[in-house]
Parts: sequence; C-alpha cells; structure tokens
Amino acid sequence: MKQKSIKYRSDLFKQEITLTVDENLNKLKGKILAPKKLEAANKVLRKLQPVLPK
Amino acid sequence: MKYEVYHEIRVTDDYSIFDFVSVGRRGTIPKRIEFSPTDIDGFYNLAFGDIDEQGGIDDYSISNNGDRNKILATVAYAVEIYLAKYPDRWVFFRGSTLERTRLYRMAVGLNLEELSANFELYAQQASGVVPFEKNIEALGLLVKKK
Repeated sequence: MKQKSIKYRSDLFKQEITLTVDENLNKLKGKILAPKKLEAANKVLRKLQPVLPK
Repeated sequence: MKYEVYHEIRVTDDYSIFDFVSVGRRGTIPKRIEFSPTDIDGFYNLAFGDIDEQGGIDDYSISNNGDRNKILATVAYAVEIYLAKYPDRWVFFRGSTLERTRLYRMAVGLNLEELSANFELYAQQASGVVPFEKNIEALGLLVKKK
C-alpha cells in the first residue's frame, strides 16, 4: 500500500521528524480510544466552562 | 528546546492520532496519542499511553523503558503539530495520576519561556483557570497556539 510521508521540522525542537499517514490508523478516526479519560475531561471542562479562555 | 524526540511517527490524515514506538531497556513499546473533541466546542482532550489489545490507550501503564523525557518531548512535538494544523483549538491535558500531572506541569515550567512565546498556556486549578506560571498549582493544562 502506498503511504504518504511528510517531513516536519519543528520551530520549537529544531528537529525534523517523518510523519507517515497510516491507512490502518485512519480506520480509527472518530473512535474514542480513551473513553474514561475523555469522560473525566468533559466533567472538568463542563464545570469550568464559564471561566475557560476564549 | 534541546530534547531528543522519536523521529518516525505514524498519523491519521487529520492528525487526531499519532503513533510511535518507544525503544529502551525493556524493548519496543508502541505508544499512542489521541486528540478527541470534548463536549465544549473548540476544546480537545489529549490522551496518551500504551496501545492496548483493542487499539485503545492505556494511560495507567508504567513502561519503565528508560526514555521518559524522549516520550514526553515526542508528545509535546505532536501537540505542536496538532496546533499548527488547528490553531483555533484548545488542547486540554492532565496526567492519569497527580504525580504524572505534576511531571507535565514541571516539564512545561522548565521550558516556559520558549513555550509561552508560541503558545497560550493556562493551568486548571480547583478554583478555576489561570494563566500558567512556574511552580503554580495545576490539576490540568490548557494550551493553544498564539
């Protein structure tokens, strides 16, 4: 399978990395892979909503 | 910042998932980073950890592979890439334990000058949200591209 690779250079880290778009990984898009973590984040953020930065 | 990072990263085309492999004294351990939308518009949760058998993220694992700083730097690198693609989004993250959250807070504090030149940083506290400062209490962190 043909893979798309991108060289990315960070201004912050001053290093280049290679990002490879993975079709198998693309199949996971939209799935929640850490549901408990997301649930906890939602709980915190909902409580903080009035004071969250814009 | 002068931190070593993992240079080979596999991603989804929307950069919602980043995978890389930790290489260390206990061998090779696949790692996964996920940015997922929260219930609050514009805020995305960062989850990170070992990849479990179902492809999910186990953020309680202790791999003890001797490359903690390299892993943390790679996660920070992924956040930079993600926010470069989505400059209007906020990323929220906190550790799976208080100790891990403290580690993330310290890592941000150590590099605050460089980070704050590029990012808006806030600390989540029991009483609300405040701009991030060194040695500040933080139960979670919020970051966005400047």
